[in-house]
Amino acid sequence: MPSEEKEPLQLLQGTLDLIVLRTLSALGAQHAYQISTRLQQVSQNHLNLNQGTLYPALVRLEQYGWIKGAWGRTESNREAKFYSITKAGEQALSKETLRWRRMAGLVDRLLVEDFQS
Amino acid sequence: MRYLRRFLAKCISLVRNRCAEEELNREINGHLALLEDDYREKGMSADEAHFAARRAYGNVEQAKQSHREERSILWLEQFMQDIRYTIRQFRKSPGFAITVILTIALGIGANTAIFTLIHSILLKSLPVADPKSLYRVGDVYTDCCLTNGLENSNGDFDIFSWDNYRQLRASTPEFEQLAAMQAGEQLLSVRRGTNPAHSRQAEFVSGNYFSTFGVAAFAGRMFTDADDQATAQPVVVMSYRTWQSDYAGDPSVVDSTFYLQGQLVTVVGIAAPDFYGDRISANPPSFWVPLSDEPLLNGANSVLHQPIACWLYLLGRLRPGVSIDTLQQKISANLRQWLTTVDGYQRHGFPALISKVHVVLAPGGAGIERLQEQTDKKLYLLLSISLLVLLVACANVANLMLARGMKRRAETSMRMALGSARSRLIRQMLTESVLLGCLGGLAGLAIAYAGTQTILALAFPGALHSAIRATPSLAVLGFAFLLSLATGMVFGSVPAWITSHADPAEALRGATRSLGDRASLPQKWMIILQAAFALVLLMGAGLLTKSLQNMERQDFGLQTANRYVLHFDPMGAGYLPEGKLADLYRRLELHFAAIPGMQSVGLAMYSPLDGNQWTDGITLPGRPLPDPNDDNDALLNRVSANFLDATGQTLIRGRGISQADNEHGPFVAVVNEAFAKKFFPHEDPIGRRFGTYEREDTGAYEIVGVVANAKYTDPHEDAKAMAFEPLAQWQHNLKDPIFVYLEKQTHIAGAVAMNYRGTRQSLEQAIRSALAEVDPNLAIINLRSLDSQLAGNFSQERLVARLTVLCGLLALVLTSIGLYGTTAYQTTQRTREIGLHMAFGADRSQVVGMVMRRTFGQLIFGLALGIPISLMGGRMMESQLYLVKSYDPWSLVVAIFVLAFAVAVAGFIPARRAASIDPLRALRNE
Repeated sequence: MPSEEKEPLQLLQGTLDLIVLRTLSALGAQHAYQISTRLQQVSQNHLNLNQGTLYPALVRLEQYGWIKGAWGRTESNREAKFYSITKAGEQALSKETLRWRRMAGLVDRLLVEDFQS
Repeated sequence: MRYLRRFLAKCISLVRNRCAEEELNREINGHLALLEDDYREKGMSADEAHFAARRAYGNVEQAKQSHREERSILWLEQFMQDIRYTIRQFRKSPGFAITVILTIALGIGANTAIFTLIHSILLKSLPVADPKSLYRVGDVYTDCCLTNGLENSNGDFDIFSWDNYRQLRASTPEFEQLAAMQAGEQLLSVRRGTNPAHSRQAEFVSGNYFSTFGVAAFAGRMFTDADDQATAQPVVVMSYRTWQSDYAGDPSVVDSTFYLQGQLVTVVGIAAPDFYGDRISANPPSFWVPLSDEPLLNGANSVLHQPIACWLYLLGRLRPGVSIDTLQQKISANLRQWLTTVDGYQRHGFPALISKVHVVLAPGGAGIERLQEQTDKKLYLLLSISLLVLLVACANVANLMLARGMKRRAETSMRMALGSARSRLIRQMLTESVLLGCLGGLAGLAIAYAGTQTILALAFPGALHSAIRATPSLAVLGFAFLLSLATGMVFGSVPAWITSHADPAEALRGATRSLGDRASLPQKWMIILQAAFALVLLMGAGLLTKSLQNMERQDFGLQTANRYVLHFDPMGAGYLPEGKLADLYRRLELHFAAIPGMQSVGLAMYSPLDGNQWTDGITLPGRPLPDPNDDNDALLNRVSANFLDATGQTLIRGRGISQADNEHGPFVAVVNEAFAKKFFPHEDPIGRRFGTYEREDTGAYEIVGVVANAKYTDPHEDAKAMAFEPLAQWQHNLKDPIFVYLEKQTHIAGAVAMNYRGTRQSLEQAIRSALAEVDPNLAIINLRSLDSQLAGNFSQERLVARLTVLCGLLALVLTSIGLYGTTAYQTTQRTREIGLHMAFGADRSQVVGMVMRRTFGQLIFGLALGIPISLMGGRMMESQLYLVKSYDPWSLVVAIFVLAFAVAVAGFIPARRAASIDPLRALRNE
């Protein structure tokens, strides 16, 4: 149904953390604005990312010790906090990615099966 | 791992909250600036870009809030905010905070003081190893401290002779250790070197006493079974406190020799500092002495080898896994069997009682609990009273909080209009009241400490080193803390609930018009509750005061003006019966009588209400020997010629005891009216005979006189039948060893009664020099006026009554203040209404009447609630009352009158002020 496809997606619980980790792992240190812009680009504006969810996610990941924030200056010479992924974060990322794949595969299989029966 | 890390990070963020908040602001501002930059690049103007950026970002405050929630422990953060806010509020109105804290402190202080006593007297175990495995053989304290063990009509055996103890100990391997300890208290004369002798408390105990309790020596060693042998050198153990107070902790005391009762003994050790003995007592023993030394110290009066003289309590440590029931049955059977083998128990009508004999094993972790039995009811009564005071204080504070909540209502409404959650407001108010409660509790601890010390000093006057400590323990601190929390919750919940129902719209209306409406009902209820509780306390105070007066002002049957009683111990000075004693008494009488101002002086075994007594069965010639179940008991006393005169007992018939009634004269006795009535109900007692030693003496004494009843033992009961025999007359033909023993024991005079015109100081001086002349070894145990000796029987009752009066007055004052406050507040709120009334022609008295009607309305409700509770409370304390009915109308009427008076005064002041309102100004004010 095309109309539904255009509606922005809500993120599943816990997936934001994974996406942020992946972004930082792929692109190196990023500030919050960069992260949110990047997510919007990749999702082609399908992802409804509220800043009220991104910031808590960043705090949470920082408190886990998976990312690290450092103050710096942007190209336009604005002050921003740049987050980079830590070693623990990389490990967590691979673990979480694996888990996500298994979970997605399982859900997929279940849905397909459901269809056939 | 990551959760732990996160928790730590949250805690850190809690502490550096301001920093984190600043960083968040910087980050969000940076974010917004970047957004703005982007929009400007797309061609927007600066202003357009500014707003577009904010639109794109969304709700900044919400984002911050979710950041906070994620970042730290929100409730804790809010809690800390609340506390900071509360402290700011206290700073703004310190008067309010101080009033509340003081009110609460009084309530909590009173409760904590009483709880300190309850904890240290009733709830604590002995400071010994593993108190849980200690058990006492026997569960009651029927008779103390020298009896035949068969006093309990149901056969419950609780006190033992030495023989009995030894055979029990040998036959019960279920006990790891079974120790024996003296049931009564005993004073010994103690002398070190050539220093003057003084009296100190001592206790005879078995050799395994210290190993049973697991008490170690602080210095030297504790004595053991090896020291508890007839052939062993006499040794004693000294208590740590005595060592400190009498000998300043002198290390040379250990292994040095002392004279106890004039006998040489060695102090082998000092007991552990916290060990005060096997029982909580106002006068714990200074010395523990092995049982085997009892004959040496007590001489001819030794009870150790009397097989039926029961004077020991037994306390033992059970082996793990022993069944109490089985052991109880075993000991009971064993005891019955043993009793049938003892000669002494085959006489005196005992065999009929032996079949019922049994023992009950009771937990002994708290040791000998005689003091507990005597004080527990009074302590719980005091606790209930202090709880009532706390409730009144709570109601008072709740009223203050309500009034304040009303003042802050505008602020509260504003906060709600601005989006504060109700729950958050309630939490804030509760935080405030709980903080007040805790501060009050902290101040209360100080009051409690001082209060407990005062109570102890009043309840146990003259206690040397009492085992009861006023120092707050962990349990007491916990109690005070929980009580403070609960108090804060109680007095905070009503105002919090009401405040939280504030209507946000009111803030916008801005008026204070509806002030007071919703609060006035709960405020009234607080007053009603206070009045009710105050009435209960006043009624209780009335009952207890009246009961105390009845006790103190009763007719003791004695003359107390100018009467004094000296207690001394001839045994301590080495006097043994019989010839030496008679000589000592004669010389004492002579020397005392020669003191200027002495009207009469008499010696006796014991004096009225001094804690001593001798009760025995009476036999009458020509009548069958009494059955053991018959009540043929009478109090007996041995007195010198002038004793009855010196105590002011009225002679009703016949003659008193005279100097001629000595060892050469015929045996005579004077009896009291109760004796005459009990044994010779319809006959003239003069000339009749009675005896005290059953078969061996069914009529040795001829009654020559009758005196009026006087109280000698329990001041709460009617005077018992009593006979006075001459101190100078001895029966020499007795054969039963227990009779021989009793005859000796009862001829030791312990008291001198005097009728003396002069001050106590001059008498004491004169007595000291008289004693020094007679024998320098004679020590004064105490010298009191007869009045103070009698009053000493009521020190605990007096204390309870006074504390209750104090609590009642406190409740009354709190209630009056609360009533005054709310009435004043309400009349201010009704200024306009009153102004209108007056504008329409009401005069001042009508306005006063209007306010007073409301006030008395609350009083009526308070009485309606308070009177039934008072009557119930009276019922509950019935056992504490002497000759007062629990529903005593006098106490109730006085309590109501006092309360009504206080209420009238508290209501009248604001009523008068209301009446002086200028109606024009009142109306214009609106």
